[in-house]
Amino acid sequence: MIRCKNCFASFVTNRLRLQRVFQLRQLCTSNEKSEEQKESEQIKREKSHEQFMKQALILKGSFEYVATKDKGNYLEMIKIFENKDVHRRNHVEFIYAALKNMEEFNVHKDLQVYKALIDVMPKGKFIPQNLFQAEFMHYPKQQQCMIDLLEQMEDNGVMPDYEMEDMLVNIFGRRGHPVRKFWRMMYWMPKFKNLSPWVVPNPPPQDAFELAQLAVERMCSVDVESVINIYNTEDVEDSVDHTWIVSGQSPEQKELLTRHPIKSAVYIEGPFLIWLRDKSINYFILRGDLPSNRQPVYDEDEYDDVSHIDVPLFGFGKPKKNKLIVKPSIHEQSDGIIYAVCCTGMSTKDSLLSWIRLLEKDGNPTIKDLAILFKFKSPADKELVTT
Amino acid sequence: MLIQLCRKVLTDQVNNVRALRTIHTTVVNKTFWEKEKKSGYAQKYPLTSKKMILDGLKEFKSELNLWKEEMKEKFESDPILVFRPGEIDVIWKFSEEQDLDKWVVTSDKDHNQGLSVASFERSPAGFGLFSGNLSSELPIDGRIKKAGYCNIKSMRQRKSFKRETSFDWSTYNTLVMRVRGDGRPYLINLSCEAYHDMTWNDIYHYILYTRGGPHWQVTKIPFSKFFYASKGRVQDKQVAFPVDRVTSVGFSVSGRAGYDGNFSLEVDYIGLEFDPHETEDFAYETYKVDKYIVQT
Repeated sequence: MIRCKNCFASFVTNRLRLQRVFQLRQLCTSNEKSEEQKESEQIKREKSHEQFMKQALILKGSFEYVATKDKGNYLEMIKIFENKDVHRRNHVEFIYAALKNMEEFNVHKDLQVYKALIDVMPKGKFIPQNLFQAEFMHYPKQQQCMIDLLEQMEDNGVMPDYEMEDMLVNIFGRRGHPVRKFWRMMYWMPKFKNLSPWVVPNPPPQDAFELAQLAVERMCSVDVESVINIYNTEDVEDSVDHTWIVSGQSPEQKELLTRHPIKSAVYIEGPFLIWLRDKSINYFILRGDLPSNRQPVYDEDEYDDVSHIDVPLFGFGKPKKNKLIVKPSIHEQSDGIIYAVCCTGMSTKDSLLSWIRLLEKDGNPTIKDLAILFKFKSPADKELVTT
Repeated sequence: MLIQLCRKVLTDQVNNVRALRTIHTTVVNKTFWEKEKKSGYAQKYPLTSKKMILDGLKEFKSELNLWKEEMKEKFESDPILVFRPGEIDVIWKFSEEQDLDKWVVTSDKDHNQGLSVASFERSPAGFGLFSGNLSSELPIDGRIKKAGYCNIKSMRQRKSFKRETSFDWSTYNTLVMRVRGDGRPYLINLSCEAYHDMTWNDIYHYILYTRGGPHWQVTKIPFSKFFYASKGRVQDKQVAFPVDRVTSVGFSVSGRAGYDGNFSLEVDYIGLEFDPHETEDFAYETYKVDKYIVQT
């Protein structure tokens, strides 16, 4: 049984040392006898340790005891299993244990690792030899294991490639259920891979600043004229928080802001959440209320109502009021006019105040005459970037 | 009373027989038929027959009014015949509180299968707001393998006196929605259940990508894009959805693969449109695949 946590790491290092010792022996044969003896003793000890470890490597728990959980060690674990003996006994259990620990090793979105796991299966043995074997799921446990592996890939959004098809066909033959699953995946997954009209790199950036740029760009995609500015709060006098601001505003929004009546206030609202794949970031908006004369006017005439048809030639009644208004811009939403959006590095009140000052400098001179109110939502998310 | 007694005796006998046969441990496979429409998720409300009668009488008046409207419509017999292109017929709008009563919110927590919570209520701006928190954390019961979903679904379309009916959308070809999301992708579900148990879980899906941000978006999805799935599994034999028997519409959101966290989808309306430029019948291939490969 493995008792200490670092056992596996020490095992790996011991293996490496062993190789090095062998290399040493090959390289320097003219060493003294006593040293050679010492070395051979050490090799013996290490060999016995390796033997012990081979017996001791239990399948279920072995992944938990790895000291540094990364891709290299994960692949090393697979290699150790493959080289353990010729028969690769319990490979189904090993693959299930490996699948379970993928996320901890941060390899759950890595195609190469999935391929390495598939490669554990013996080739040729599970290919059905006759009709009945093909129809009644030859080697069901192994096939189900591979189906579960493929499903985990699907869940994590990992698209297989054609090398994987060859591997699966070599293991289960062209009638194998995992191969069928692969074909289904290869039919559907490419259809949805790039379907989103708002492209986000895969994987999305870890850095909050880069994420903020992508988020503001995405929100501003509603107006092609939008300009995305990156400000630094240090440029504002008396600013307390020194951080970055990613701000998005279009010329049309600037014009709307200049027309904002001085009597009514503008609001800084937020924080709201925007998701870019599996990353989210908070953003704030600068919003003003819709003026009453801009409320949408609906035509009261019912075209389908034939009981009161107006005859334009004999119009004796009062002429109808002109119901025409200027077509509202995209920023005049039903619940207010959106003047700008931003993400700040700290999401603090001070950084938002700096944002207003920077907007004022950057072509919104009227903003200094307006009353600005903060409307903060309760902080549902404590962190700026949730991972 | 007598019937209950008889049943008791019978079940006791059956139990005795079962107790004798100890070697037989195979579980009976019931995969070929569905016992009930909710596939085991139906909640049982213990109601006394007296209560049921009283509740039924209470609803009688409103049902009768519904029936009156139906009869009126039938005798007027004045259906809409011309569907002008570009005109959106709104089916659901969420401008009033009672509009939300026709919708059901579910999440994995409702069945003790997860920890996600969701709500569907009116937003401060006066629209329908589907929001909540997704968590793909598993409950420790050793049974659940995957968790983390929230869902809203419109109730089954009914005529008066609780008779089931379905939407007939054969004159339209595009689903139109005005939504304001948070950047997450949502799944649109069109349930098309029919009489037989095979069809109870037929749902046609497509993805609703949301931009995120303060601006609204209008999304138009042609009917041809919806693909066929049953119990969340995409089927091999694909067909376009039966436009004349849609029973309900729903939206799902998943928190798996790292998407845990808050979500919000504000919906103004869900409507239908006839777009003459949309000529495609079905967007996916329907060619024949090798024998014994499909649906296995």
